[in-house]
This record gives sequence, C-alpha cells and structure tokens, in this order.
Amino acid sequence: MTKKKKIIIDNLEYGVDSRYATAKEKDHDSIALMKARLEKMNNLSAEQILQAKLMQLKLKMESYLKEPVYDNQNHFAEFLKTYIDSIYSKRSEFAKDINVTPVFLSKVINSHREPKEEFILKLMIHSEKAFKKVGKFHNTTWYQVYYQEKICDTISNQSKWRPKIEKHVKLSHFK
Amino acid sequence: MTIVEVQSGKVIPIEILLLENDDYKSISESRYYFDWKKEKKQEVYKLVINGQTDILGLISIERIPSEWRIHIRLLTVSKENSGKGKIFENIVGNLMTHVAKLAVMEFAEMACISLKSKSAIEQHYIKKYNMSITGMTLSLEVPEILNLIKQYDHD
Repeated sequence: MTKKKKIIIDNLEYGVDSRYATAKEKDHDSIALMKARLEKMNNLSAEQILQAKLMQLKLKMESYLKEPVYDNQNHFAEFLKTYIDSIYSKRSEFAKDINVTPVFLSKVINSHREPKEEFILKLMIHSEKAFKKVGKFHNTTWYQVYYQEKICDTISNQSKWRPKIEKHVKLSHFK
Repeated sequence: MTIVEVQSGKVIPIEILLLENDDYKSISESRYYFDWKKEKKQEVYKLVINGQTDILGLISIERIPSEWRIHIRLLTVSKENSGKGKIFENIVGNLMTHVAKLAVMEFAEMACISLKSKSAIEQHYIKKYNMSITGMTLSLEVPEILNLIKQYDHD
C-alpha cells in the first residue's frame, strides 16, 4: 500500500462534503433512492415497524423531558395514546393486560381523570417489556413525563390560580 | 451519548447542540476542513464535551419531509480528531446518530438519513455504519437506522 493511500484510509472520517451541486442532481438521486426505499419499506415486518414506532415515542418523550413544552396539551395522555395504539389494535386489550377497566383507561387517555400511582407503576412494568428490543427505556420516564407536565401546567396557568392562593400567603418576618 | 479518549480509553459524555451564530467566529477552515460559513443558512449541529465549548465535530443537514428523509450536507471532525493520531473516537458516529434520531423522531418506520456517495468513502460508510448504496446515494433506513441509535445512544 502506498503511503498516500494509507493516509487516505486513516483519514476517512475527517469529513464528507455531501452537498448537491445542482437541483437536477438532487432530483435524479432522490428518484432512484425513493424507488429503492419503497421496495425496502414494503418488506418491513410488523415487528420492525413496531420497533420504529416505539423508538419514535421514546425519543419524543426524552425530547419533551429535555425541553418541556408550556402549553395546554396533555402530553402524558398523548404519549400514552401513541404507546397503546402502536402495540394494540384495541385499547381494551391493553386495559385487560394491565388489569384496569376500559372506562378508567379511556378517562385517563381523554384527560378526564388523573392516573393513579398504581396505573403508572403498571405502565412502567409494561414498558420495560415492550421496549426491551428497542433500546434503553428508563423506568422513570412515564413518571417524569407525568410530573413534568404538572409543573408546566402549574407554571403556565399562574394567572388562574395565583390571585386566589396569594391572598392566603404572607411572609410576616420581612417587611 | 459518549466519545472515547483513544489513549486512555476513558468514556466522556458529550452533547450535540444547534450551532449558534457566535460559533462561526471560532470555526476555521484549517481546523474544520470546510468553509462552514457557507452553511450559515442551514441547520447545523456541533458536538462538544458536556460543559465545554470547544467544538469537536460539526454536521449540517437538510430535512426533506416529502421523502421522509434527512440529507447530511456536510460533516466533519476537528483536525486533531481525524487520522491515526486522533484524540477522540466516535465523533462521526455520534453526529450521524443525532441525525438518525431526528429522522426517526419525525418519520418513524419511514425514516432515512442519506449521504452523497463518493468512491473514497463508500466502503467505509457501508462497513462501519451499515449504510446501503443506491446509485450515488448512501442511505440508512429501518431497521439499520434503529441499530445505529441503539449502538451510540447511551442516554
């Protein structure tokens, strides 16, 4: 092997300039790539699709924990809905698997009632099993999402609760 | 996510962050191989050791939602981290994994990351990252894209 060739091999990861020179070049490559990808996508197994969906959910939950969103959406319920619908064709099957009534599950999903601690514990154990092949899923994730949401709700709704609560709070030691 | 100090084998936690305008002042072509100022309008990420500011690697991407794909435009490691005497290992792997995570987060089972193929690097990326080649494009899809994330994402 020549010295020059060896240097090139040692340096393979210095970087890549992968920018397209023209739109025509980009379009041409896109068409060929899409054709090959569609074929590959058609051959994905149900198991591979499920793993991708669960990985997507895991990454979204991690992203929410990293950068909390202060809005009026119920993220815990949304994540829960995605989790169940990725794995089960009927939500009642999930309810059966974690031994809760379909009515209770429906109320939690639709934010009509708070999940009990036991519900989150069951969800934690269920997720440990479901995410086994997907990658490390911290067993605290559902808890963290749930409480993160509580914090975000409390902070973003200060105008609603503060005036009433503030009346009952004083700090008599300071002027 | 972590990188490895080659000499000591020490595992060091890193973070990948969006490049800020001020960062361009410290990104020279002599240390980062390309003129990164040309990427100012693009989505560019930097790899740094947790709590530090020195940039060890850079990646610029283009999101193509109509194709459920993120194309890697430009990718580099800092000069002292390339070649035989490199200080840290796995910078490129982590940058590619970051983009893979963005793609899966957005497109799930349809996710894809791509690179324009060049004969010099082709075999290396196929072997090391399990990429496929279609015409002039190297790409990574499900299930290989999930394996890359599992391999590099230790968070």
